Amino acid sequence: MARIIAKKDLASWLQELLKGHTIIAPTSVGEFTMFRPITSPEEIAFDFDNTALSPKEWFFPKAESLITQDNGDKEPMPQVIDKLVIFGIRPCDAKGLTVLDKALHGTPFDALYSQRRDRAILIGVACSKPGPQCFCTTMGSAPDDASNVDIMLTEVDDGYIVETVTKKGQELMANVPLSESESPPPQVAPPAVIEGTTEAMTESMAERYWSRLADRCLHCHICAFVCPTCYCTQTRDYDSQGTVEQLRCWYSCQAQGFTCIAGNTLNPTKADRMRHRFYHKLPYFTDQLGSGYATCVGCGRCVTACPVNIDIREVIADTKQRNPLYRSN
Amino acid sequence: MIQQIKEKAKELLDSGAVSCVIGYERASDGLTARPLFVYEAEDIDRLIFDETCTHNLVKYLLNRKDEPTAIVVKPCDARALNVLLGEKQLRRENVFIIGVTCPGVVKTGWNKKGDELEARCQVCTQHTPPIYDFLVGEPIEEPSPPITFSDVTDLEGKSAAERASFWAEQFERCIRCYACRDVCPGCYCTECQVEQLDPEWVSIRFTPEENLMWHVMRAFHLAGRCIGCNECERVCPVNIPLSLLNRKLEQEVSALFDFQAGLADDARAPLATFKKDEKLGIGEWHE
Amino acid sequence: MAIDYQPKVVGFLCNWCSYAGADIAGISRITYPPNIRIIRVPCSARVNALFIVKCFQQGADGVLVAGCHPGDCHYSEGNYHARRRFALLRELLDFLGIEKERFWLEWVSASEGKRFSRLVSAFTDELSRMGPRNT
Repeated sequence: MARIIAKKDLASWLQELLKGHTIIAPTSVGEFTMFRPITSPEEIAFDFDNTALSPKEWFFPKAESLITQDNGDKEPMPQVIDKLVIFGIRPCDAKGLTVLDKALHGTPFDALYSQRRDRAILIGVACSKPGPQCFCTTMGSAPDDASNVDIMLTEVDDGYIVETVTKKGQELMANVPLSESESPPPQVAPPAVIEGTTEAMTESMAERYWSRLADRCLHCHICAFVCPTCYCTQTRDYDSQGTVEQLRCWYSCQAQGFTCIAGNTLNPTKADRMRHRFYHKLPYFTDQLGSGYATCVGCGRCVTACPVNIDIREVIADTKQRNPLYRSN
Repeated sequence: MIQQIKEKAKELLDSGAVSCVIGYERASDGLTARPLFVYEAEDIDRLIFDETCTHNLVKYLLNRKDEPTAIVVKPCDARALNVLLGEKQLRRENVFIIGVTCPGVVKTGWNKKGDELEARCQVCTQHTPPIYDFLVGEPIEEPSPPITFSDVTDLEGKSAAERASFWAEQFERCIRCYACRDVCPGCYCTECQVEQLDPEWVSIRFTPEENLMWHVMRAFHLAGRCIGCNECERVCPVNIPLSLLNRKLEQEVSALFDFQAGLADDARAPLATFKKDEKLGIGEWHE
Repeated sequence: MAIDYQPKVVGFLCNWCSYAGADIAGISRITYPPNIRIIRVPCSARVNALFIVKCFQQGADGVLVAGCHPGDCHYSEGNYHARRRFALLRELLDFLGIEKERFWLEWVSASEGKRFSRLVSAFTDELSRMGPRNT
């Protein structure tokens, strides 16, 4: 017997929450769905594949001031929202936050990111219908994976099954009326697992494979920006009208000139940068830390957003190819 | 039609006339298309050509300036080729142009294929490439409607304040991925002005104001050079109607200078020339 | 609009003609509104289109570019290029919500102090009528 919350009770509970919290939820922005702050539960979108950008920007903003120095005559801009609720996060994106944690919330840690992570409450909504681009099961997650959220909601006919995963989640839902449900949990067809041996990728894939794949790459920043686990940045200092600011912004390892240090670029060609990206997403971390540490979470946003259809799922499948083009041994 | 393309590709590769044929293949969704680089004869069968082949492949020629390359082009893409040839960015002898007569392509995204023709195809008056070495496809009769810019005039009809708030809303979504620049054959500077640090023209703040600076920079550098393939708009991950900016400039260039980009391979862009006595509606204040 | 609204005007004046013309106005004690902040450039063609946009982004209500009369450019052709460039830019800016009337390109020769002052007065009056630019 599952505990469920009726849809209208969910709406009124969220309305109550709004009085003391900032709620970020998927909302329709034109023909897209994006995570934005809401002023009423009616603004929440439920029927969509996945959002155009992951919610990582609410923890790791597109542009962030690291240091600001001024004459002291301006109020400092608040950089951390105190009571933050992310509603409607999918299991893949929640797993993505744990990947970002390894870079930004370990040792050393990013102070602002860590504060946001510690204060935010994640209310996940399980996927009822994985999209054609999804492959979370290949990367160790699942449409109903509740391991990285505080509360998981699963849609059924008469409402949502509520699973309070953490103490934070239990406390938040302490006074919410729940009822016992007759409805069975929904049957969701998980995405098929792609067979691949990515752990041995660094030895097995020939240079020519990356050069052919990168031929059509436009070296834009789309894949890095839509990805829930990418965290590369560039930093610049600005000095205007008495204020000095160090600004850190998202950047992409696919951009020309990325890692140009002292006049030398470490990954000068598109092929080098492409190989770096896929090694970073697939074998690098698993090689060093063991399986379960892949940095790709299988959300498939890069697949839908890449203008020239560079598809990470094909790269995973290609590790099993016998074509001599791909093999270096 | 695809059979002719494949046969020509095989002939060119086998004879060594080119080292690569750039065309289209089926994308990973099994529905739409994506660019394909054919280096070996065994990959020729992957080539396709149909109404999902919307990409402008001419950009890739700029990475292969010294390598003889064959390319499959639609009429709009061929105009981009003309612009690059006119600007001496490509050696004509290194490009073998497989031109395709094109009735139009449909709107596509990953795993999405529309029924309607793309907006630019609906107003197209050039169904045969203006430049080619080998022509494929049935001749298509040209409709002769006047060139229309109704999407531009619609926005022009609104008040300045409405236009300002329209664009502020669009540019608020811009994530400065630069896909619009990277897909455009007309954008080929080795150091793009937007990435110049000294001076820094546009900061890396993602505000609508900075984003507007970037888009003015991009559109203006293409003034008189843009051929309207609308790739910039297609690749935008947040659907900003970028073609409106380019088409507005196309409309003005046509009205003021009676010029359309890409019709000949030796034309000079209007901003690179002038006429001494022309009247452009500016600089005519009298006391 | 507040009765004491003073438009902020930026002027790019070419060194050889229009800057000299402004200088003559000053020497001859011909007054013109003080709203204009003048930047001296070698030629009207030196003015990059992005300078204009930047001025508006930084709070200018109007931008003026002044050069030599067509045919008299100190560098022979600069003002012809400027004329084409700014004819297009003005249209694009208007399309983006920055009205045409806020951006002027005009010609002032080195001896035309009076013309310069009347030009700036006319421009400033127009901008006062239009009100501040709503960003």
